[in-house]
Amino acid sequence: MALNPMEQFEVKPLIEQPLLHIAGHPIFFTNQALLMIIVTVASALFLTFAMSRRALVPSRTQSMAEMSYEFVAGMLNSAAGEDGLKFFPFVFTIFMFVLFSNFFGMIPGSFTVTSQIAVTFALASLVILTVIVVGFAKHGIGFLRLFVPHAPLPLLFLLVPIELISFLTRPISLSVRLFANMLAGHTMLAVFGGFVVLLGGAGGILSVLSLAPMALIVAIMLLELLVAFLQAYVFAILTCIYLNEALHLHDHH
Amino acid sequence: MPAQDPQSLRDLGKRLDEAQAKHAVRKTAPPQTSMGIAFRFATELVAALVVGGAFGWGVDWLLGYFGIHTRPVFLIVFFLLGAAAGIRGVMRAAQEINAGMAGQGPSVADDDEEG
Repeated sequence: MALNPMEQFEVKPLIEQPLLHIAGHPIFFTNQALLMIIVTVASALFLTFAMSRRALVPSRTQSMAEMSYEFVAGMLNSAAGEDGLKFFPFVFTIFMFVLFSNFFGMIPGSFTVTSQIAVTFALASLVILTVIVVGFAKHGIGFLRLFVPHAPLPLLFLLVPIELISFLTRPISLSVRLFANMLAGHTMLAVFGGFVVLLGGAGGILSVLSLAPMALIVAIMLLELLVAFLQAYVFAILTCIYLNEALHLHDHH
Repeated sequence: MPAQDPQSLRDLGKRLDEAQAKHAVRKTAPPQTSMGIAFRFATELVAALVVGGAFGWGVDWLLGYFGIHTRPVFLIVFFLLGAAAGIRGVMRAAQEINAGMAGQGPSVADDDEEG
């Protein structure tokens, strides 16, 4: 069924035999696992290769690597201040992983790792757990002041639960945003791709009309490339903002 | 990094910064697509409602487990609180986006509860 737009998101085992069993559950090597390995290896190789010459006047590849470094460092510095830079490796890893996942997903016929809620939610949980651990490590029990806004006492009975819910919302909104963006874009591409096939097979004047959705696909593809970068950026900047709150509580530097 | 750089080095650094600023790689927030903004608001709102509802449902379940039957009360209360948190999240997101568009870079919008 080439016309099912959701088929591209199916997680399929690539090797029939399960690799191992954990608590009775078979663990398969899936297309998702393969793409995640490719993404990780590719981003590591890209950065290593790009920086291997360490030229004073950078080549194109090297300046791409330097640009991504400076982009994330600048973002972290402006959102979380000087002491936020300790978390640069963390944020940079997340940014590169999401960026490469999104871009590899744009290759026709491949698989988009970030279109799986399991992956994005794992990433978002990692971010929030880091924020909680950092917050408690830095401020001790005083980290809980994050949930107490400056307000008169009677209002606090209302505001503290709201702040608490708003904090618990973060891993969900963070993961759903990335996953939904990827899912929506790729579904849209597949749906218009289906139109091309249907119209092209209809014969006569309709076959000529199939050029219209084809042109649209090209345009959407460009938009999706932008979205792929933007969503990696949004994920990383929100990580920075949450880290900033854990580091500085209410007092913004 | 040495604690005190010679003055000439610092001058050079300043001139380098200026030169780089001229050819600046875009470091501020890239423009958001409208769909991105819409997704941002929608997820903030829906996620807060879901979390609020689930939290209330959990409180009800926990109390019911200990023999106190409150069933829909906390679900309703926390659902409403979730709605409030969702609106707050959308307002915060809007502030962040506005701050980004005003060219101040991706800095955090100040908390609105201050003052």
